[in-house]
Amino acid sequence: MPVLDIRHLIYWYRTRKGPVHAVDDISFKLEPGETIALVGESGCGKTSTANAVLRLLPKNVAKYEGSVIFDGQDIMEYDDEDFRKEVRWKGISMVLQGAMNALNPTVRVGYQVAEPLVVHYDVHKDEAMQQAEEVMGKVGLAPDVMRRFPHELSGGMKQRVVAAMALILKPKVVILDEPTSALDVMTQTNIINLLKTLKTAEHLSYIFITHDLGLASELADLVGIMYAGQIVEIGPADGIFRSPRHPYTGRLLASVPRLRSEAAPEFIMGAPPDLTAPPPGCRFHLRCPVAFERCGWSAEEVVREIKALQMTEEHKALVPAMGDMEVKDPFTVILKPADSTTASNLASAFAGFTKDQREGHRFLKSIQSVQARSRTVEVKLHEGGEPPLVGGDWRASCWLVSEAKAHDVIPA
Amino acid sequence: MMSSPLESPAPGGPESLPENVLELRSLSKYFEIGRGLFRGVVPLKAVDRVTLTVHRGETVAIVGESGCGKTTLGRTVIRLLEPTDGELLYNGKDITHLPEKAIHWLRRSAQMIPQDPYSSVNPAFPVYRILEEPLIIHRQGDADERMEAVMKALSNVKLNPPEFFANKYPHMLSGGQRQRVAIARSLMLNPEFILADEPVSMLDASVRISILRLLRSIQGNFRISFLYITHDLATAKHFSDRIGIMYAGQLVEEGPVGSVLKEALHPYTQALMRAIPDPDPANRLQMRQALPGEPPSLIAPPSGCHFHPRCPIAKAGLCDVQEPEMRELRPDHRVACHLAS
Repeated sequence: MPVLDIRHLIYWYRTRKGPVHAVDDISFKLEPGETIALVGESGCGKTSTANAVLRLLPKNVAKYEGSVIFDGQDIMEYDDEDFRKEVRWKGISMVLQGAMNALNPTVRVGYQVAEPLVVHYDVHKDEAMQQAEEVMGKVGLAPDVMRRFPHELSGGMKQRVVAAMALILKPKVVILDEPTSALDVMTQTNIINLLKTLKTAEHLSYIFITHDLGLASELADLVGIMYAGQIVEIGPADGIFRSPRHPYTGRLLASVPRLRSEAAPEFIMGAPPDLTAPPPGCRFHLRCPVAFERCGWSAEEVVREIKALQMTEEHKALVPAMGDMEVKDPFTVILKPADSTTASNLASAFAGFTKDQREGHRFLKSIQSVQARSRTVEVKLHEGGEPPLVGGDWRASCWLVSEAKAHDVIPA
Repeated sequence: MMSSPLESPAPGGPESLPENVLELRSLSKYFEIGRGLFRGVVPLKAVDRVTLTVHRGETVAIVGESGCGKTTLGRTVIRLLEPTDGELLYNGKDITHLPEKAIHWLRRSAQMIPQDPYSSVNPAFPVYRILEEPLIIHRQGDADERMEAVMKALSNVKLNPPEFFANKYPHMLSGGQRQRVAIARSLMLNPEFILADEPVSMLDASVRISILRLLRSIQGNFRISFLYITHDLATAKHFSDRIGIMYAGQLVEEGPVGSVLKEALHPYTQALMRAIPDPDPANRLQMRQALPGEPPSLIAPPSGCHFHPRCPIAKAGLCDVQEPEMRELRPDHRVACHLAS
């Protein structure tokens, strides 16, 4: 039985611009002793997923739903008090990004580790300190460290203290949110080794949140690649690292500068989308090097892309001269010819441009037809949609993957 | 009259310029640290007898962990700090102890790209004003010429169209765009040398590569020399020509990237390389080798080779007693280790 089974988890929060779709329908399962790495660029919803699982929510929550089944119980049903008593820290704990800098400078670290036992579980202080010493031993800290203050410890030792804090209540699941991002390489290696040891010795399940694919591969049995609030590919580490199916995973792997390969790292064009208004269709289509007809371009995006071409010195000449552009409906753009020309001239020029440039400027693939009306040109787009997450243990949400599956081939 | 930016490297053309832009000869920078009343001061040897040459048009990466002295080294070579000892030559001219008044030209010729794109530009200035500032300070060109130079610099850092970005304020830009503005600013005065101290460590992983590529193309197009200071061995591998590894204030290994990373001769370089994982699902099945202990204090570093207490191959009676000299063991590839061969 999985220790954690997350189904259709949604967590949005309100801002002045509208709700941010930080976690937008995420599902995954985690078996005891298994680690899933959630990987993606900043702002893709990795940390929000962790906060949603632990119900660490701000006041401006707009939407929070789905089920989180922990140890057979749907903990989304718990009220806040039960959740705090039974789940948070006791069932699922967390090592936060930069937590080592949040240790209380005036309290000896031994007591900081023991504190939850004393405060929340009424354990006698001596007993709590003894348990703390035991946990500190597990994370590789000598008993005398108990009596020290945080400023007397190195970065690596502080991070071990933070790990001890996460383990003191013997949780089954530990969320690691960029646990080594503030540490030096050597210290990072030591902490990762510690996490590996603990995973086996304590039979822990980790949710390992990181932007670093190299680090992810140090711990992950499963990998979930996140983009714009969604998981776009999820499956066994052996498969995903060796032959990714989603184009985004492929780009992400190609962007890693590697020490043991001469392959030059490549960057991913563009920036992640604004999560107050995620793009229609596949959320990656604007940056995708293999996007095609079905990926879900909207009329608005096509207008924006044409304007962007018109603005650059390099591409300006490619675009036929025209007057205004107008979005008629989500899949129709109306072009107005410039004063010097007619609608039919513009239509044939634009159709030519669409045909010639569609490989280099993939948004042009979305154009289904170009037709001259009386005084305007009507450009119709293919109606794409959001690709479903398909596959068994290894799923990806990409139309290329679903189409290939229909023909029984998976692109490498 | 000003020369239009980024066209003519310097009067006389590139041929007449010395091949070595920067030469460090046993360069040291110590800070005096007070140990309390009546107990006097002790030196903290942040940079300890570093010898290094930066040739024209090449990128030299300095790699090390935090506290190894790499940032101090960078600040010393562009004379933001005065060296304590040794010699520092810029284009063959000794600038080790020149007073600030005598190195005004250096402030134009040697530029720096800061680490933090969020705090290094004036938030009250629009982009064009940020870029114009160095020209105003160095009294170059009239208003029209300056504006032309600003637009050119913006398009050189791929902020297109330039007119669109020129009127933006820093808060309207993303981290990557801001760092492009900082790079454009460093180019305004046609520098020969740029110090880039962790220029991408604050940026998102996918943006880092595009910024490093941009620096690489600028280096090629304008024959600017770069000192790239970083803790990240993997980006150093892909974006520099030569690499120097620093440990406890000293350069322990130095040479062409291909040679150093293919055949690391110093045990510290080897350990650093072992510590960095490439994405590989086999990684999770084994422990990664790591060095014991922590880097030493720069006030009282270990005797002999500073690395000997953590070194897996240290030899008692040699490494803890005698300080190793830099030796050239492979073509142009030097290492400070008694046991390397």
